[in-house]
Amino acid sequence: MNTNKLSDRASSAEQHILSRIDSRIASFFSSCVHCGMCAEACHFYKETGDPKYTPIYKLEPMRKIWKHHHTFWGKLFGTLGWSTLPDEQMLEDWQELVYDSCTLCSRCSLVCPVGNDIAYMVRQQREGFSAAGFAPEGLKGASERSIELGSPMGVTATTLLATIKHQEKECGIPIPVDQQGSDYLVLLSSLEIVGFPEYIGAIARIFKQADISWTISTKGFEATNSGIQIGNSEIAREIVERVVNAAESLGVKAVISPECGHAYTSIRWDAPNLLGRELPFKVIHILELLHELQSQGKLKTVGTFDTPLTYHDPCSIARKGGVIKEPRDLLNQVSSDFREMTPTGEMNWCCGGGGGVSAIDEAEELRFKAFHRKSEQVNKLGVKVLVTACANCRNTIEEGLENYEMDVEVVGLTELIAGQLESAG
Amino acid sequence: MAIELNGKTYETDEEGYLADLSQWDEDIATYMANDDDIELTDAHWEVINFLREYYEEYQIAPAVRVLTKAIGKKLGKDKGNSKYLYQLFPYGPAKQACKFGGLPKPTGCV
Repeated sequence: MNTNKLSDRASSAEQHILSRIDSRIASFFSSCVHCGMCAEACHFYKETGDPKYTPIYKLEPMRKIWKHHHTFWGKLFGTLGWSTLPDEQMLEDWQELVYDSCTLCSRCSLVCPVGNDIAYMVRQQREGFSAAGFAPEGLKGASERSIELGSPMGVTATTLLATIKHQEKECGIPIPVDQQGSDYLVLLSSLEIVGFPEYIGAIARIFKQADISWTISTKGFEATNSGIQIGNSEIAREIVERVVNAAESLGVKAVISPECGHAYTSIRWDAPNLLGRELPFKVIHILELLHELQSQGKLKTVGTFDTPLTYHDPCSIARKGGVIKEPRDLLNQVSSDFREMTPTGEMNWCCGGGGGVSAIDEAEELRFKAFHRKSEQVNKLGVKVLVTACANCRNTIEEGLENYEMDVEVVGLTELIAGQLESAG
Repeated sequence: MAIELNGKTYETDEEGYLADLSQWDEDIATYMANDDDIELTDAHWEVINFLREYYEEYQIAPAVRVLTKAIGKKLGKDKGNSKYLYQLFPYGPAKQACKFGGLPKPTGCV
């Protein structure tokens, strides 16, 4: 097709995607040896057997744009009017591949023999797709609510405060809110606030025992970042800015990312890049802090949890964040029968709901298919409890287990530890 | 869009959810349910009333998993499971019960 005939939307996508093709991405495309190893690493491909789910193939629109603008033949064909830039139909067809079938889990990036960071490329390609309107409604809605209401699920300070009140009553410990000069600012994900509020009570108990000064901010509590998921840096920046402003005005020394995967990478690595400056505080994942407390002998537990259990590594925490040893050291303190899945740690299989996929209604069937992998991993171990450290993984896994009619309970690691605390009685 | 019922006009959004929460009454709930071929029983009302109380406190319409879990906590596991709730509200317990209860459309878990 001729480039002059591209529709406005297709041109907009082209321009936005082109602006995202940095030297890394350009070299990644030149380096790809078409070996197909990324397909073998992808749970969507492995469970469906459909070659369209090959990770590098999900980048076909971006590759065409790269070829047109960055290669000799592409430029020559372009001059002659023989260009093959992605048109509207192609972008529409690819929306499912770019969003529904990619959790940005980075397993493909890890196995690529030439070192192409495919997940990074998909993340950048999403910028063009979302700018031109080729994004799932579920993620659009989540992004809009994040900007208008402060959270992707519509959780406001009212919801947060009502939840805190309940948790205070349940754990019998006052939960500090907007407390100036605290050492730590605790972030939460919406899903934790409404779905797994026990996490708040759990940290209150652990922090009381370890004598930690902490607070929750009503102005910057939301850790999840729909901007990162849909691929909109403007939205992503606004979301991290709220947290950074809250942390700065409270004067905290560190911000604790909750049991959520992408929240950790967003606030720890994306935030300084999005804001263009260093953050004046430390960013730490809750598991890293618990591990620190454990090393200092401040995590005093009694007895062990004796039901056989396994641990699911959230991709963003383990594969991207390198937090692999910490949860295992913690589990070994409180569990007498911890069984590892195969593979595990940095090569663990994703639950299938990350990267915004769990927010896409129409992706549900595919998500359940991809979850088959996880269900098999769990089945082989014969455990009745699965521990994880991400509210989104937890929700996706609970739904997956129900779909496969598996009787396995899903527990957050922080809660598991809080249940074994000396002071828990 | 609007629904005319017993001389009263109820404004709704394009998906049929009430635009103004304060307009809600049991008549409109029954009307909306009939429109979806559902006859509201005590079991339905238990969920609808639970949702309205939940909204009153938290100011948010809960996603389906959140609802299921919260119902389980308050009314027991027999009722806090998908099977039971989908039997009552086949188009989705959170979405349909929120609609009948005059609440906004719940979001997914994100």
